[in-house]
Amino acid sequence: MDASVLLALRDPAGVPFYPIVFQVLYILTWALHAAFVLLSLGAMGLSLYGSAKGKTDKYWSILTPHLIQTGKISVSILIVLGVAPLLFTQVIYDPNWYVTNTLSGMWIFIFVYTMVVGYSMYYWYYYANRAQRTGSTLIGFVSFGILVFAGVLMHNFAVTSIMPQQWMSMYAPNGVVNTSGWTFNLDIIRLAFMVSLSIPVVGIFLQNYSRFLSTRKDFDASFISYSAKLGTNFAVIGLLISAVLFVLWMLQVKYLLHPVSLATIVGVLVLLVMAKINSNSYYTTLILVVVALLISTMRELIRFDIMSGLGYSIYDYPINLEIPSIVMFLSTFLIMGFVGVAFLLTMAWKVGKSEGVFDGSKDVMVNRLGQSTLYIMIAWMVIYFAWGIGILFNNIL
Amino acid sequence: MDIIGQFPLFYFPDYGSAWMMGLTGTIHILFSHTSVGAAMLFAFLAHKAYKEDRSDYYPYMKKYGMFLLIFSYVLGSITGPGIWNTATAASPRGISALIHNFVWVWATEWVFFIYEVIGVFVLVYFIDKIDKKTHLRLTYTFALASVGTLALIIGIISFMMWPGTEAFYATGSASDAFFGVNTFPHMFLRIGFMIMMSGVIGLVISSSMRKGNAALSDELSRKMGYVSILGGFITLFFFIWYMGTLPDNAHAVFAFSKDAIIKNRIILTLVFVAYFAIAIIKPRLINPVIASAMIGVILISGLWSGEKLRESMRKPYVAGQYIYSNQIISRDVPGKHIKSELPIIAEKGLLQVNPFVPARLKVITDENKLETGELLAKMSCSNCHSLEKTGVYRPLKDRLVGMDKDGIKAILYAIGEGGMSYMPKLKLPETEYDAIAEYFVSLHY
Repeated sequence: MDASVLLALRDPAGVPFYPIVFQVLYILTWALHAAFVLLSLGAMGLSLYGSAKGKTDKYWSILTPHLIQTGKISVSILIVLGVAPLLFTQVIYDPNWYVTNTLSGMWIFIFVYTMVVGYSMYYWYYYANRAQRTGSTLIGFVSFGILVFAGVLMHNFAVTSIMPQQWMSMYAPNGVVNTSGWTFNLDIIRLAFMVSLSIPVVGIFLQNYSRFLSTRKDFDASFISYSAKLGTNFAVIGLLISAVLFVLWMLQVKYLLHPVSLATIVGVLVLLVMAKINSNSYYTTLILVVVALLISTMRELIRFDIMSGLGYSIYDYPINLEIPSIVMFLSTFLIMGFVGVAFLLTMAWKVGKSEGVFDGSKDVMVNRLGQSTLYIMIAWMVIYFAWGIGILFNNIL
Repeated sequence: MDIIGQFPLFYFPDYGSAWMMGLTGTIHILFSHTSVGAAMLFAFLAHKAYKEDRSDYYPYMKKYGMFLLIFSYVLGSITGPGIWNTATAASPRGISALIHNFVWVWATEWVFFIYEVIGVFVLVYFIDKIDKKTHLRLTYTFALASVGTLALIIGIISFMMWPGTEAFYATGSASDAFFGVNTFPHMFLRIGFMIMMSGVIGLVISSSMRKGNAALSDELSRKMGYVSILGGFITLFFFIWYMGTLPDNAHAVFAFSKDAIIKNRIILTLVFVAYFAIAIIKPRLINPVIASAMIGVILISGLWSGEKLRESMRKPYVAGQYIYSNQIISRDVPGKHIKSELPIIAEKGLLQVNPFVPARLKVITDENKLETGELLAKMSCSNCHSLEKTGVYRPLKDRLVGMDKDGIKAILYAIGEGGMSYMPKLKLPETEYDAIAEYFVSLHY
């Protein structure tokens, strides 16, 4: 696939803002999305162990439903967070994404319904576990398997998208066009590394879980200590496995000595020490976020280099600046997004810390954030309609 | 090199690939519209519960919310990006056009989605863990966020039909593309449907509560009946207004099946008015099975046919009246420096300008004529028509039955000259017309 074809595949409308902004947003939002993919994978996987143990173990009988609930909510959040990187990648790497979608059209369709079936079954697992029905673990395993398969399919799309030199032979092997949409590619080491990260992520989550509940009087101290220790074991063992797989992946793609790769390794080592000591898991989580951003950067670097090597640089994408809609995005994101999400998370945090009903109306911060969110949203609606009516009058009168 | 940005083709035998998007889209509309409608209904119920001190409404909201989590936030939230994915596989350049015009609008919608998804869990799981005043405020913001998602997507899907004015072509501005003449009627048409759907789903929940509290079940069923009638009326009112804002090509397609559509809509209206009247007058006649069955009726008779009609009425375009369904840019858009690809295709032919046509098929020979004819037919026609003799989705076998090569070519020429307003004005070199016609003849329709 030479540069002239790749450049012709760019959308003729150009990009509405500077490509580097989309690239940075992609890296940021992919890391966020991946964090919840890994948390859901880890929490679901570990809940299966707990579910298999049944109600006989006093610690797991508390932990399992919480892990299932964590997995359940994480899947919803990973779906919504996944929309953003999907959006930004299409703006600057549209040739890659659209070629992949058409080459793997059948898998794309299957992916959607795999997610539907897998996630619906996960709710079944949640209710079956809650009711202590026999077979709930089996339902959980099937659901987990289906969702992992969906993850493998998404991996296929990511890998196919960075194989531009093979696209033509995938579409028309030996010159015979194949429009079936069954293209499937795997990179086992890369996939194994990504999946392995779910172990340390659930480990650090358990440390946070234990720390968060430690102030609650209705949770036994021995349970708090058990979940913290379990978290430490998972974090340490998981980080060691992930580190080995990361090195193997870097050797495979020949980036081991690249500064981003070295920074990731240093980050993992720091995480290892912090997870082992477990003096404050909230700080460990901050480092985990940094490592997630580095891994996201590494992925982007690999893609960027592959495409640049073929003469496709995202920085040369023609720009048609679009100011009003980016102003809308930035103001919505920075004002409504931060205030609104702060309202919800502050409330969730305080409810989690309370043993009875939490009275948000008497909590200054929750009250203020709630009121501000409401006013911001009303203002947003007023501006939206004023803007729309103004444009419409201007264009039709 | 004279090439255009055409992608590989994905074709599902006998059906084409567009139906995949249609299927996913129809399912998504049911869930997503219910979600926004339910958010408005929650705000209404929470308001009444708080002002009138009706604590008995909260268990209903919780039950409704739990149902909503699966119905809208499992199935709806997956099929949302699912439409995007399947549409990309079927119409990559159509989606690309939307993305490159509206990326910031979509990104803004994403912010609302995040609030909605975290919000729904907080709303449902904390309903009995937070005070009523904070809960009420949460329901208001949740409703506004949900309506915000509609406010943002509506301009994009309206643009798919057409930009509404000529301004966009000159300026290339997302604002001009977004706020067309049909954006607001379209928005309120959908708000009406959302309100109606919240009532329809609400009837499933209220009728299932009869055993526990018959009086409350009856009261809520009646309320859901009124809510649904209000929603239905808004839907009908704005549907008429919306139809008046559509372009000529949409009306040309609509005219084909106008009588059948109007008949279908009158029957549906009568059935649902009767259903909602029963909910108000005799709520006990409604049980969860009947209420669930009515969702199925809406899905199959209302949404599936409605979405198929909306998709048909866009023809021959897929987005903004500048990209044809077969992924070819059909007009200049000076505001975006976009050039029509029709002249170069007419001059060089599709095989030459498409970068994914293998070298051995670039030039038509006696040996590869049928193969190139098939490829050209897929590239030009398969987004809207299934090609095989066993084709199901707008099959060509019904349109070209018994025709010889000259007859088929005459149709292709007429399309190329713009003789049919709902078909792409795609002019090809004579050799390509000939190869397509020969391929169709070989199928013996």
